[in-house]
Amino acid sequence: MTAQNQTLARPMASPSAIRVPREVLVIPVVMAVFTAAVALLANSFWLTAATSAVALSLSVTGLAILYGQLGLVSLCQFALVGVGGWVTLRIGHAWHPPFEVSMLSGGIVAALVGLIFGIPALRLRGLYLALVTLMLAGGFQTIIGAWGFPDGGPGFLGRADGAGRAMLSRPDLAQDSVPYFVYVSIVATIGLVISQWHKLARPGRAWALIRKGEHVAIASGVNVLTYKAWAFALSGFLAGIAGALLAGNVGQLDGRAFTAFESLNLFALAVVGGVYNWYGALIAGLLLRAVPALLTDLGIDGYVTIGIFGVALFQALATAPAGIAGQISGLIARLTRKGQKP
Amino acid sequence: MIAIENLVVQFGGVRPIDNLTATISAPVSGLIGPNGAGKTTLLNVLSGFVSPVQGAVKVDGRDLLALRPLDRVKSGLRRSFQTEQVVEDLTVAGNLYAIADHVTGPGERIEAVEAALAFTGLRGVADTLGKALNLFQRRLVELSKCLIGKPRLVLLDEPAAGLTDEESATLRELIMRIPDEFGAQVLLIDHDVELIRSMCTQTLVLDYGKMLALGPTEEVLASPDVRRAYLGEF
Repeated sequence: MTAQNQTLARPMASPSAIRVPREVLVIPVVMAVFTAAVALLANSFWLTAATSAVALSLSVTGLAILYGQLGLVSLCQFALVGVGGWVTLRIGHAWHPPFEVSMLSGGIVAALVGLIFGIPALRLRGLYLALVTLMLAGGFQTIIGAWGFPDGGPGFLGRADGAGRAMLSRPDLAQDSVPYFVYVSIVATIGLVISQWHKLARPGRAWALIRKGEHVAIASGVNVLTYKAWAFALSGFLAGIAGALLAGNVGQLDGRAFTAFESLNLFALAVVGGVYNWYGALIAGLLLRAVPALLTDLGIDGYVTIGIFGVALFQALATAPAGIAGQISGLIARLTRKGQKP
Repeated sequence: MIAIENLVVQFGGVRPIDNLTATISAPVSGLIGPNGAGKTTLLNVLSGFVSPVQGAVKVDGRDLLALRPLDRVKSGLRRSFQTEQVVEDLTVAGNLYAIADHVTGPGERIEAVEAALAFTGLRGVADTLGKALNLFQRRLVELSKCLIGKPRLVLLDEPAAGLTDEESATLRELIMRIPDEFGAQVLLIDHDVELIRSMCTQTLVLDYGKMLALGPTEEVLASPDVRRAYLGEF
């Protein structure tokens, strides 16, 4: 099975037949193995990096829905991560509900903002949509630069001074680093499964028709507006949950980390990781956080990653449009076929 | 039955359909004309992708122009495109489910897809990805899509383009069975006059957006005006 094959190979038998496709079942298995390996082997430095990486993989999954399924280039995904983080911190500090309530609130508000950010996509595609969404990311950068993230203070913005600053509490079940990493992995697995199910079922088929052409989709009875809106809302929701998990990882967020450049970087690494396979998002998340951590560990300036990612993007666009995940998928397919030969 | 009355489509100073009045009633009808005659534009008007500036279109007595494009699909209008539009990373069955999701009830989907696969003989490749299909299979997928969910009017835009004579003959037999087996009227555009002659009992000829001829296919094709304008005879 090649890169794209895995995404939409088999339709659901029927809505009433509860049959979980292999492409969905494999996600919890792989994530469980990955989580166990990191939890057992990583030190606290790498555990923090891996937690951020897995959280960010959710936002990349959202991006992969837009780009891989609909062919839409959105360059404001990291801004939506910031929206989710902001709402999670705001609600968490104001009312101290269970972490899950703050997290879901962050996801829902990011979904709504994602829906608004997606409005240009109803008319625009390609370069123009990319530019408009990049401007939206720039707008968010300006706002978050002025507002900052809530840290336990009063009022709408929730900013505190000096000693009054507070950290967001992690979930009761996962106060320490290792349990929190496992918690993030479980949430990410649920998000990845939801995303993969969408790709394999009715929404994925509708998105595939829209990608083929809007007239083709309409001639098949697809409500293009609804399905595009749903894709943007789901993508925003996943980004918002990622922001919430990042906020929980260190207890606070820094407005300087949510620049428009981060959205560009996220998109570039989504392409490098691979947008047609679910694990491309995990690879992209690891590239985003593990590579800078590795360089820091080696005493090299983290900004070197910009050059490395640029080369990786060029390589992906030139030789492997399905990204690293696509190459892995191709390799697995070749090995499987070889194994099946008598 | 398709009843078109005083239909005008205007793009700036150009009128691809110019005051067209025609009634198409045969189970399988042909729509022919030179390039730029307005054939695809007429199909786009029927599909709802192009809005006329004037005129009326009724299908089986129902005002088609009053319906949104999606409502036309729900009411049984199906169409294929000049360039085949099979989704490459969906299987053949997936391509059919992609339309069945929206035009059939949840309990009818499997049956509708299976019936279409059986009709076009694609059951053997139901799990094959679109990108692995040859052109003939792709054309059959396009035809299968048109048969999902109680079609009433099937519009085919050059369904046999690029096919061999043998493949074309198979496709022709399938299309001719549609009215009896699915209860749908078929209107098809094709440049292959022999294909039109062998399939269509009624043919409409367009030229510069106007009706050049309409009637029994043999009579229409024998008309001196048609032979001059479309077949290039002097």
